Amino acid sequence: MSELSYIKRPNRGLKIYAAAFLTVLYVPILFIPLFSFNDSLYVKFPLSGFTFQWYIELWERSAVWDSLGNSMRVGVAVSIISTILGTLAARAITRSRLPGQNAIVAFVMLPLVIPGIIFGVSLLILLSRLGVSLSLYTVTLGHLVVCLPFAVATLLPRFEGFDKSMEEASADLGENGWFTFWRVTFPLVLPGVIASLLLTFTISFDEFIMAFFLTGTDATLPMFIWTQLRFPQNFPSVLALASIILLVSFLLVFVALWVGRLGLIEPEESQS
Amino acid sequence: MADVQMSSAPSARSQRPSGLRSMLYKSETARGYLLLSPALLVMVVGMLIPFTILIAMSFWTRDGFDFDTTMSMANYQTAMDVPIYNAFLARSFWISGITTVATVLLCYPMAYYVAFHVHRNKMLWIILMTLPFWTSYLLRVFSWKVILGYEGVINSGLLGLGLIDAPLEFLLYSQTAVIITLAHAWAAFAILPMYVSLEKIDRSLLEAAADLGDGPARRFFRITLPLSIPGVISATFLIFIPTTGDYITPALVGGPNSPMIGNLIQLQFGAVNNWPMGAALSVILTLWIAAVGLVFLFVTRKSQESVV
Amino acid sequence: MDVVDNLNAVRNGELSRRAFTRSLLAAGVGLMTAPLLPRRAMASNPDEATIFTWGGYDIADFYPSYIEKNGVPPNFSIFGGTEEALTKMRGGFVVDAAHPCNAGLKRWKQSGLFQPIDTSRLSNWGDVMPELVNMAENVDDQGTWMAPFDWGGTSITYRTDLFELEGEESWDMLWDQRYGGRLGSLGSGGDAWWCGAIKAGVPFKDIATDDAFERISAVMREQRPLIRLYSDDTTTLEQALASGEMVAAMTWNSSAVALQYDEVPVKFAKPKEGQLTWVCGIMLHKDAPNVDKAYEMIDAMLSPAAGQFMIGEYGYGHSNARAFDEFDDETLVGLGLSKNPADILGAGHFMIPQDQNWESRMNETFEMIKAGF
Repeated sequence: MSELSYIKRPNRGLKIYAAAFLTVLYVPILFIPLFSFNDSLYVKFPLSGFTFQWYIELWERSAVWDSLGNSMRVGVAVSIISTILGTLAARAITRSRLPGQNAIVAFVMLPLVIPGIIFGVSLLILLSRLGVSLSLYTVTLGHLVVCLPFAVATLLPRFEGFDKSMEEASADLGENGWFTFWRVTFPLVLPGVIASLLLTFTISFDEFIMAFFLTGTDATLPMFIWTQLRFPQNFPSVLALASIILLVSFLLVFVALWVGRLGLIEPEESQS
Repeated sequence: MADVQMSSAPSARSQRPSGLRSMLYKSETARGYLLLSPALLVMVVGMLIPFTILIAMSFWTRDGFDFDTTMSMANYQTAMDVPIYNAFLARSFWISGITTVATVLLCYPMAYYVAFHVHRNKMLWIILMTLPFWTSYLLRVFSWKVILGYEGVINSGLLGLGLIDAPLEFLLYSQTAVIITLAHAWAAFAILPMYVSLEKIDRSLLEAAADLGDGPARRFFRITLPLSIPGVISATFLIFIPTTGDYITPALVGGPNSPMIGNLIQLQFGAVNNWPMGAALSVILTLWIAAVGLVFLFVTRKSQESVV
Repeated sequence: MDVVDNLNAVRNGELSRRAFTRSLLAAGVGLMTAPLLPRRAMASNPDEATIFTWGGYDIADFYPSYIEKNGVPPNFSIFGGTEEALTKMRGGFVVDAAHPCNAGLKRWKQSGLFQPIDTSRLSNWGDVMPELVNMAENVDDQGTWMAPFDWGGTSITYRTDLFELEGEESWDMLWDQRYGGRLGSLGSGGDAWWCGAIKAGVPFKDIATDDAFERISAVMREQRPLIRLYSDDTTTLEQALASGEMVAAMTWNSSAVALQYDEVPVKFAKPKEGQLTWVCGIMLHKDAPNVDKAYEMIDAMLSPAAGQFMIGEYGYGHSNARAFDEFDDETLVGLGLSKNPADILGAGHFMIPQDQNWESRMNETFEMIKAGF
């Protein structure tokens, strides 16, 4: 492992770049908690005073919490389902020689091209013709369509071109397909799976055009925020919520790290 | 994207003619489709049917609140003749093209850094780069307004330093603002696929190259870059395609000079209330993106071949 | 299919213990995540009325008597703008009642998605201001289509510290060359085009003529290079006014109230040409699944209690004349309202709802102008 070190030698320039990159990535985000404590309805400088008011208000607004819960449910369901479907699809595409393969890949990628509003409207027309009433399930379906291309696009490069002989060796040893997949293939593609889970969750958690057309009376969070823009009174408590989301997700990540689970799901460590 | 990946996928092994193989071949195809079927089912319900409706609708015409369902090319004719549509289309490709190039270029070193120079807690880094996107997009837009605004952070800073005399007005409500906001919003979508494909690169190849006396730059251009091209292509498509059809960002930070084709499509489905026209514009957009995508694939494949 | 594989493996005694544990684990994860699927999908009670409205109206305070009677508020489905709402309903989304505004009234009627309201079933109807009920297009031989709920003015909110007024307040303020690039406008033709008509001096009854289109287009074209932002939502405009990004913008009266509350030095202009008056209200869906409850809901919304909340908290006018009784003159004037709301209504211009063809043409023209064509 140590012979590799000259390739992995720390690169100061790159390190500085990474730090700068993260800073730019985070600066706009950090304004959100800043303004969530600001004693003003409006996001503007100068700051006018410190207040907990918006957090107290947020506590009382059950609609915000409901919409957060809805978004979490949809996001988790969408990310898991689309990653599973994406994994199966990516495996099928890279492993089997399927007639019409290129067409299939292009077809799976098609939703990327179509603006969300069109999907939303046409899915809505379809669902209402079928007599399906709108609920979080229909939002999940809509998000699934949008997220699947992202899952496939993230997983395909990972599946494609890893050493097939390992799978075959496992098969030659008489292991069944499931076992081979779980013990051999899955660990190899795990980084792709995690990337796909993260991406699809993020997309679903932030999507509101399709959500608007496909939801009944349960608003998702981004859609809820979008509909609040008519009344600025409601805006600061949304900032407070976003700050809490940020804080909680950071805490989760660090706790997970601390517990050491993240170390376990890093095949690279053990491999290299 | 499909072509590049396909070209490398079918390995020599599966093509080897042998009695046993050819028997397995059939079942392998069947199995492949079986694995694909859940994804295809979702796509057919959620994609094919709506898209068919869309195409059919694009040949209709509006009649008050109803549709005249006789087939006609009228919408496509209008889209060709009225300059606004072409101008908006061109602007969409311009804005989204710059965004894509900028995002991919800026994110590649980051993905590279995490793939090659982060040794502990890689996942932490990946998650760190995704976390900002768990706050709502609309809220991030408001943050950007605070930064880019007339009396925003950048302008106040520059004024304070005495670098400018008057606030820079082009920062917000301009195409610049759209590009900055989009690039920021899509950063994670560029990093993740590129990271995944960089991470996969066999380190022994780099080692071998180093043993053969290749310097870092040569190693990068001969091995790392070509092998990470699938990830770069994925990232390019994942950003380019959706940003071309975006309409929220131009509406929120673009001001009057940056509406894109997506805004027009949305209007046709909303206030203008001409759904068939909106459908036709979507079909045109899809075709254009497909055309641009194919050209892009062709060029990258050519250049890839010339490198390897 | 992995499950099937597994079952076969178990049957054939092939599955290793370890693989089996892993499968169990996977099944456990599956079971854990299943409840994460929309479990509350039916939390909205199917027996209660559902209203399709802006976020912000989805709070109990607007439905006091409904809650008294049924114990729970109605179900809310929310939208960010009336156009997207109509699109969704045309796509097949069914609710009991929706909340459009008068500019869209004719088109909403023509969409064939609504039924007239039987006003005799509303106990508060007698107190609803007749000026609002009798606005153009609302009452015809089939009955009353929209129960007016909230109303207010569209005019110019300007920063008193940044905008130097020349002479009287007027719509010319939004065409003031001195502040080019620092002016804002509502983005929807439903507001902006009508204000353009006032500026161009086109009487609203003539707004559908070709001549009107030309004259309004001309003033909108003239204004376009001066505008920093056409916005579809009030929060964005208010933010821009608060931060000094803009010095004057076309807004609804509530914006000025909210900004003043936040101590931003602004004033809601009373242009000499008159302001634009908007009215929003409730329409009943033709296939409303819970019609009886929907009437209870509308009645609750028209009650003075709901009105007081609306005036006090949101700064909009309410359709029930008695709702104004609780407030003193000073407060009302501060809100841009009046003890005698008819005064305000009389001084303003009421939009005359137009049909779909006009609306399409207007929006197309306006969009072209906004885009610089």
